[in-house]
Amino acid sequence: MLALFPQLLLTGLTIGSIYALVAVGFVIIYNITGILNFAQGEFPMIGAMLCAALLAAHVPLAPAAAGAIVAACLLGALVERLAIEPAFGSHPLTLVIITFGVSMAFRGLALLVWGADPYALPEFTPGAPLAVLTGVLGRQAMWAIGLSVVVVIALFGFFARTLPGAAARACADNPFASRLVGVSPRRMALLAFTVAAGVGAIGGIVIAPITGATYDMGLGLGLKAFVAAVIGGLTNAPAAVLGGYIVGTIESLVTGYLAPGYGSAITFALLLIVLSLQREGLWQTVRRRQV
Amino acid sequence: MADCPAATGVSRDLAGLAVLAAGLAIVPAVAPSAYVMALLNIVGLYTIVTVGLILLGTSGQVSLGQAAFYGVGAYGSALLARDLGWSPWLAMPGAVVLVVATAYAVGLPALRLADVFFVLATLGVGIIVNVLMIQLDPLTGGASGLRDIPPLAIGGRPLTTDREYFYVIWTVALAALVVARNLTTRRTGRALRAILGSEIGAAALGIDVPRYRMRVFVLSAAYAGAAGALYAHYVRFISPSPFALYASLFFLIMAVVGGLTNIWGGLFGAAAVTALDQIVRAQMPRLFPRIGGEYQTAIYGIVLILIMIFFPSGIARGGIDLRRLLRGDAAGPATDRPAAADVVSGGSRKRAFGRRPRVRSEEEAWASPLTETSRRPQVPARGDAPASPPVGTTTENPHA
Repeated sequence: MLALFPQLLLTGLTIGSIYALVAVGFVIIYNITGILNFAQGEFPMIGAMLCAALLAAHVPLAPAAAGAIVAACLLGALVERLAIEPAFGSHPLTLVIITFGVSMAFRGLALLVWGADPYALPEFTPGAPLAVLTGVLGRQAMWAIGLSVVVVIALFGFFARTLPGAAARACADNPFASRLVGVSPRRMALLAFTVAAGVGAIGGIVIAPITGATYDMGLGLGLKAFVAAVIGGLTNAPAAVLGGYIVGTIESLVTGYLAPGYGSAITFALLLIVLSLQREGLWQTVRRRQV
Repeated sequence: MADCPAATGVSRDLAGLAVLAAGLAIVPAVAPSAYVMALLNIVGLYTIVTVGLILLGTSGQVSLGQAAFYGVGAYGSALLARDLGWSPWLAMPGAVVLVVATAYAVGLPALRLADVFFVLATLGVGIIVNVLMIQLDPLTGGASGLRDIPPLAIGGRPLTTDREYFYVIWTVALAALVVARNLTTRRTGRALRAILGSEIGAAALGIDVPRYRMRVFVLSAAYAGAAGALYAHYVRFISPSPFALYASLFFLIMAVVGGLTNIWGGLFGAAAVTALDQIVRAQMPRLFPRIGGEYQTAIYGIVLILIMIFFPSGIARGGIDLRRLLRGDAAGPATDRPAAADVVSGGSRKRAFGRRPRVRSEEEAWASPLTETSRRPQVPARGDAPASPPVGTTTENPHA
C-alpha cells in the first residue's frame, strides 16, 4: 500500500506542474486587474491543440510549440479586448461570469474546429524514464516540472527587473497612482492576459504528451488551478505554484488510494476548507470584505 | 421613502398572472405535438429553478450550484418513493426538506464569504455533490442512474401523459412565481434589496442580514429541489449527468437572460434559453455536419458574454439601460470613481471584494450588483490617462 506512495507523489508533481502554471496565470491576472479569470484553463488546451494542429501540418516541434504559444498569447489579448475591456469597471461577479462565458465559448469552438477526439503530442525528448526512489519519472514529466520552475523564475525576473514588469507591479499596487505616472491599467490588463495565456499555453504543450489533448480539458484545469491559486492566497505567485503542486499531489494520492472519481470532489472540498478557514488562502494578504 | 415600484405594479402583476394562467390552461389543447408538450414541461421545471436563482440574485448573490440542489431534490424524491415506498406526493416534500437541510449545511460556511468566493464555494459544492452522485453507487445507482421511479398519481390513477404532467408542473411553477413575487414586494423583498444596496447599511437599519441571506439561499435551493423532485417523477429515470456543472451554468444563463432581479424574468429566461437551445440543436448540424457533443456551449458562452457586457440586468430590462445610455446618463459610477476610492483604500485587489459605490441612484437600488457597469461617460474622454498629458515622458497612448 505504502509502496504506491512514491509513484503517486511523482505523478502528483507532474500534474501539479500544469496546475502551477495555470495558477500563476490566475495570480498574474488577479494581481494586475482584480479579475478572476476562469477561462485560464482554456489556454493550455488552446496551446496544446494548436501545437497538435501545427505538428499535423508537418511543422517541426520547436516552431510548432513557439507558434502555438504566440497564437495563445494573441488569443489572450483578444479575450481581454473583446470580453473583458468592454465590461471594465463592472462588478467583479459580472466579470467572473463573463470569464465563464469565455471558457464555454473556447470549449465549444475547440469542439467545432478539432472535434471531440483526443490529440497526441510527441514528447520533447523521447527516451527511457528515470527511476526515482521506487517510482518512475518520465522524461516529459521532468520537462513539465522543470519548465514550471523555469517559467516562474522567468516571470519573477520579468516583473522584478524590467520596465513593463515594474509598470505591471505599479498597476497591481495602485492603479490610480500608476495612471498619474503614465501607466495605463488597461494596457497592463492586456499585458496580464497575454502573459497568462502564454504561460498557460506552455503548460498545455508540456503536459499534453503525458495526458493527451482534448477540447474539454480546460474546465477541470481551470477550476483546480483556481483552487491552487486560492491556497496560495491569490496574490502570491510562488505560493500559487506551491498550491498547484499540493493540489496535484492530493489529487494523485486520492486517485491512487480512493476511487478515481473522488479526485475532483476532494480538491473542491479542500477549496471549501481553505476558503472557510482563511478566506483568502493560507497566505492571507488581503482583507476579506469591504463595506 | 420612495414608492416601491413593484408595489404600484400589483394589479399589473396579478393581471399578468391571470393571463398567463389562462394561456397555460389552453396550451395542451393547441399544442402541435407531444414533443412540444414535453419541451414546455421542461421549461416549466427550469422556470422554477430560475425563479429561485433570481430570488437569490435580488439579494446580490449568485449561485453556481443550483444543479446540485436540483439533483438532490431529484435523487431524494426518487429514493424516497422507490426504495422507501413513499407516495410521490409525500416524497417530493420530503426531498425538499432534504434539500433545505443541505442548503443550511452549505450556507453556514459559504455565506460568510465575500461575493466572488461565495459563488466559487457554490461551484465547489455543485461539483462535490455531482461526484457523490456518481460515486455512491449502492445508493444512487452510480453513473447509470436510477430507473423505475414511481410516477405521480391522482386518485390512484398514475399520470402518464405529458399533458397531465403539464398541469401539475405549471401549477407548481405558477405557485412559485406568485410566492416569489409576494416575497419581493413585501418586507422581505425590501430587506433583500437593502442588503443588495449595502449590507452594512441594511444592518444599520436593523435588518438581520445573515438571517435574510441564509433564508433566501435556502429558499432558492428549495425551489431547485422542488423542481428536481418533479423532474424525477416526470421522466422516471435520473442519472448524474443532468446535474453537472454544465446545468448550473445553464441555469445561470437563464437567470441572466431573464434579468437577475426580475422575477418574471425567470419565465422569460427559461423559455428563451430553451428555445435558443432547440434552434441551435436543429440548425447547427446543417452548418457543421461533422459535429457532435456539446457544441452549443460555444454559443451559450458567447451569449453569456454579450449579455453580461451589454445587458447585465437582463434582456427584458435591456431596453431600459439602452434608453438611459442613449440619453447620456451614466448608468453607474463614472470610471473615475472606483479609481478615486482606490486611492483611499489602496490597490486594485480591493475592487474584487464586492465593494459597491457609495452613491446609488434609485434605479441602481432596484438593480443587482451585476448591473453596475460604468458606461463610457461623455466627459471626460474614456481612457486611463488624465485629459492633459501626463507628467514625465511616456510613449503610452492614453487612448489606446
